[in-house]
Amino acid sequence: MMTFPNLHVASAALALTIALAGAASAEHLPEPHGPVILTVEGAIARTNGEGRARLDLQMLRDIGETTITTDTIWTAGTSEFTGVALDDLLEYLGAEGEEIDARAINDYAVTVPVADAVEGGPILAYAMDGKTMSRRDKGPLWLIYPYASSSTYRTEVIYARSIWQLDRMTVRD
Amino acid sequence: MSRRNRFRQGGRAIFFGVALVCMVAIGFLAVEIVRELRLLNSANSDNVQWTLSQAEVEFLEMRHALDTARRQSEPDLDRLIEEFDIFYSRISTLDSGALYESLRDIPEFADPMQRIRQTLDDLVPLIDGPRADLAAGLPRIESALAESRADLRDLATSGLYHFARQSDSQRISVAVTLSRLGLLTAVLVMVLVFLLRHAQNASRQTERRGHELAAAYTRLNTILDTSLDAVLVADLRGDIQQFNPAAERIFKYDAQQVIGRNIGGLIVPDHLRDAHEAGMARMRAGGERRVIGRGRVRLDAMRSTGEVFPAELALETAHTGSEEIIIGFLRDISHRVTSENELVEARDKALAGEKAKADFLAMMTHEIRTPLNGVLGNLSLLEETTLTPVQSRYVHNMAVSGKLLMSHVDAVLDIARFESGATGLRAEVVDPGRLVQDILDSQTSAAEANGNRLHWAWTGPVADWIRVDASRLQQVLVNLVGNAIKFTRNGDVQVELEQGEPVDPTGGEPGFWLDIRIIDTGVGIAEADLDRVFEDFQTSGCTQDQGLPGTGLGLGIARRFVQAMGGEIGAESTPGEGSVFWLRLPVRAAQPPRSKGRVGTGASPAGPRSILLVEDNEINLQLARDMLRLMGHGVSVARNGQEGVAAAEVHRFDLILMDIRMPVMDGLAATRAIREGQGPNRDAPIVALSANVLPQAKDRFIAGGMSDFLGKPLMKEELSQVIARFCSDAAREEVPPPALALDDPLAALKARYLEETHALFDWLATKPEAWTEIADRAHRIAGSAAAFGHPDLRMALLSVETAAEAEDAQALALAVDEARQAWEAAPAPCVA
Repeated sequence: MMTFPNLHVASAALALTIALAGAASAEHLPEPHGPVILTVEGAIARTNGEGRARLDLQMLRDIGETTITTDTIWTAGTSEFTGVALDDLLEYLGAEGEEIDARAINDYAVTVPVADAVEGGPILAYAMDGKTMSRRDKGPLWLIYPYASSSTYRTEVIYARSIWQLDRMTVRD
Repeated sequence: MSRRNRFRQGGRAIFFGVALVCMVAIGFLAVEIVRELRLLNSANSDNVQWTLSQAEVEFLEMRHALDTARRQSEPDLDRLIEEFDIFYSRISTLDSGALYESLRDIPEFADPMQRIRQTLDDLVPLIDGPRADLAAGLPRIESALAESRADLRDLATSGLYHFARQSDSQRISVAVTLSRLGLLTAVLVMVLVFLLRHAQNASRQTERRGHELAAAYTRLNTILDTSLDAVLVADLRGDIQQFNPAAERIFKYDAQQVIGRNIGGLIVPDHLRDAHEAGMARMRAGGERRVIGRGRVRLDAMRSTGEVFPAELALETAHTGSEEIIIGFLRDISHRVTSENELVEARDKALAGEKAKADFLAMMTHEIRTPLNGVLGNLSLLEETTLTPVQSRYVHNMAVSGKLLMSHVDAVLDIARFESGATGLRAEVVDPGRLVQDILDSQTSAAEANGNRLHWAWTGPVADWIRVDASRLQQVLVNLVGNAIKFTRNGDVQVELEQGEPVDPTGGEPGFWLDIRIIDTGVGIAEADLDRVFEDFQTSGCTQDQGLPGTGLGLGIARRFVQAMGGEIGAESTPGEGSVFWLRLPVRAAQPPRSKGRVGTGASPAGPRSILLVEDNEINLQLARDMLRLMGHGVSVARNGQEGVAAAEVHRFDLILMDIRMPVMDGLAATRAIREGQGPNRDAPIVALSANVLPQAKDRFIAGGMSDFLGKPLMKEELSQVIARFCSDAAREEVPPPALALDDPLAALKARYLEETHALFDWLATKPEAWTEIADRAHRIAGSAAAFGHPDLRMALLSVETAAEAEDAQALALAVDEARQAWEAAPAPCVA
C-alpha cells in the first residue's frame, strides 16, 4: 500500500526551497555538482544553461522526497519507492506544457501527459527500499505510479508510461 | 378453484425461483466478467512480447557495443558497460518481476534464464573492475555472450509461447464465461418474457374479475334495493354499514341518517336491548351465537317512531377481508301476526260454539228426555187403570204425540251424534229375516190403519245369520217401512231381502252384499223430488194423513247410517204406482249365537228379584218402581246416592238401578262407595239410569264400576232384558247376544200387552179360583185390549170379569173360552 509519511514535510521543504530560489533567481537553476542523472528540456521556466535543466541526485532530493509503497509487475513483492513527485518537479522547473516526452538510457521513449502529474500521482523514484537504484536495477530514475492505490494505475498505458532508466525529459505544449 | 390457484401459485413460485437463480448466476458471472475485465484492464502483460523481444534487442545492442569496442584501439567501454547494465536490468526484471512469475515455473524458461543470469553475474566483477582488465577481458565477454545467445532465444520463444497460450486460455475462459452469461441471459429473458405474459394474463384476469365484481356488486345492490325484506349490514360493534330501501320503509329511517350509528339504540326495542347488548358482547368475545346462523327467529323490532312491531329475523356473519360483518334480513310480520291472531280468535270462537252446541245437546238430551220419560211412563201406567173409552183415546193420543216428540228429539240427537263422529259401528250377530219380521210386526197396526198389507220374503238363497250393526239397520228399516206405510193407502208394502255378490273377505268370515228393497204401491215420488228425499229437513206435502208433520230428518239419518256402514241407499219411483227404496250393505256371514233367545220381543221373564232403585226424580222413581212391581219384583227405593249406599249396606239386592245425576251423592260416587265398601252388594250388578245416552257417557259409567246402562225413558222391554241378563241363573253363565231393543215405547206397551194377555190365558188355563184376582186381571187386560184395537177381546174379558165377580164357574169357563177365541182371532195389536 502506498503511504505518504513525509508528504507534509516535503511540501514544507519545497515551499522553503522555492522561496529561497525565487529570492536568488527566478530563471536559473544551480549548477549540478554530482553526475547529471536527468536532463529536462522544452517548455520550462527554470534552466541552468542552454535552455535545459540538468539535475543531479542531490538537486532532485532537494526538491522534496515522496514515498510510494506498492507492488509492481516488474518486481517481486511490495517495495518502498522514494523519489521526487512529478508534479513537484514540474512546478520546481516552472514547466508549462501538456505532455512530457520521456526517454530512457536504452532509448525507450514514452509520452506522459502533464495531467498525470497530480498530488498522490507518479514520482521519479531514485531509491527502492531505501537503496539508490543503479542502472542495473532500473536506475537512476524510474517513473513509478502508485499502482496499488487504484486500478486506474494498473492499465497497460500506465505500465507503458512507467519508464525506467529515465534520463531525459522534454516538456511540450 | 383453490386447486388451480395452488397450481398457479406453485408455477409462479417455480418461475420466480428460476428467475432468481438466473439472476444470481448472472450476478456471479458478471462478477466473474468484471474480474476478468479487471484482469484485462490491469494488463498484467505490459506487452510481454515487447519485453521479451526487447531483451533480445538489448542483448544485440550489448553485442554490438562489444564488437565496436573490440574493433577500436581505444575501446568505448562506457558504452559497453551501459549496454551491459541495460541488459542486466532487463534480465533481472524477467527473473524477479511478478509479471513473469508464471513463466519462471516452466523449465524451458527457467533453465535458460538461470544460465543467462549466471553468465551475467559472472561478468559483473569484470565489468565493474578496472578498465584495463575490462579491455583485456573483452574476448572472454565475447565468448560468454555467444553461449547466452541461444539461451536468450529459447527464453524469448518459450516465454512468447507461454503467454500466447495463457492469453488463449484467458480468451477461452472469457468466451466461456460470456457464453454462459449469454445463455443465462437468454434463459432469464425467456423467464422474464413468461413472467411478463403471466403478469399480463393476471392483469387481464384481474381486470375481468374487476368487471365481474362490479357487475355482481350492481346485481347485489339491485337485489338489496328491491328486496321486500329489510337488509342491514353492521360490524361487530353493531354500527350500521348498510341499510337498504326496504329497511328505510320498515324502520322509517333515512339510510344516510343511520349509517355509522349503533343498531342497538335504533331498532332494538327497550325490553330487548339488554339481551341484544349481551349477545353482541358475547359474539365479540367469540362465544356462543344464539341468533346468528340459526335461521328465522321471531322477535320484536322498533321503528323510528318508537312503535314496536313483530318481525322475523335471520342473521349471518361474513368476513370481508379481516373484518367480520353481520348481515341481518328482517321482515315485518305485523300484518301476518294480526291475521294469525284473528284466525286463532275465530277458531277459538268456533270451537267454543261447537262446545256450546255439544253442551246444549247434552243438556237437551237430559232436560227433554227426562220429563218426557215421566210423561210417557205415566201415560203407560194410566192406560193400565180403568178408563172410559174416551179417556182411553185421549191417553192414547197423548202417548202417540209423546212418542212422536221423543222420536223427533232422538232424530235430532242421532244427527248431532253422527255429525260429531261420536257413534261407532257396533256389529252384532242377527238373523235378518227375524229382524225384518220384528219390524213388520211393530208396524202392523200402523199398516192396518192405512189398510196396507205387509210382507217380506227372501229372493234367492236365504242367509240365516249375519254380522251387522243391527240397531242402525233396524232404525233405517223402521224409517223406510214407516214411510212406505205412511204414503200408501190400501196397498202392499213388501220387503225383499237378497244375498248379493260376495264382498272381499278381509275379516276372516265370508262377506256379501245384502240387498234390501222396500216396495210400496203408494203415491210415489215425483222425479224432481227423488234426488232430494235423502237430504235433511225434506218433508213431503202428504203428511196430513197422520196429522203430524215429520222432522224431515228420517231419510237423512238413514242415508248417513247406511253410508257409515259402507253401503248405499237409493230410491226409484213412479208417481201413482209406487216407490222402491233400496239399500245395499256389506255384511259378514256369522255362526248362529249359542243362545237362541227370542229376539226383539223381550227376554224370558225372570223370577221375582229384589231390586234397589236409586232415583231422585219422584215421577221417574214412581214410574220405574211401578214398572218393576208390575214385573213382579220387590223394589226398595232410595232418593239419592247416600241413601242408596246406606240401603246397600243393609240388604243384599239382586240388582241396583242407579240414577247418575242426584243431589247429595251422585250415582257414580255411590257406585264407587258400594264397590269399595264391605257391604253385601259390593259385587251386585249396578245398572246406570241416565238420560245422557251419548256413547262416551256410557263408557264413563262402565269405567266408573257400573255393570250396564239403561237410557231414559225407561222401557219395560229393556228393563226386563237387563233384569234377565243380570238376575237369571242361566244368564249369569252365558251372556245372550245383545237383544234388539225397539226404541219405541208403544212397541214396549204392545209387547207388555201381548205378554200379559198370554200370561192371563195361561193362568186361566190352570182353573184358578181366586175370583177377585181373575176379575182384576181381566179388567186390566180389557182396558188394554180396547187401546190396542181388540174390541172383541175386550168384551169377552169384561164377561170374564163379570163371571168372576159373580163367582160363577160355568159362566166364567164360557167367557174364558170366548175370550180365548177372540184373542186367537185378534190381529196384531195396533193403536186405534
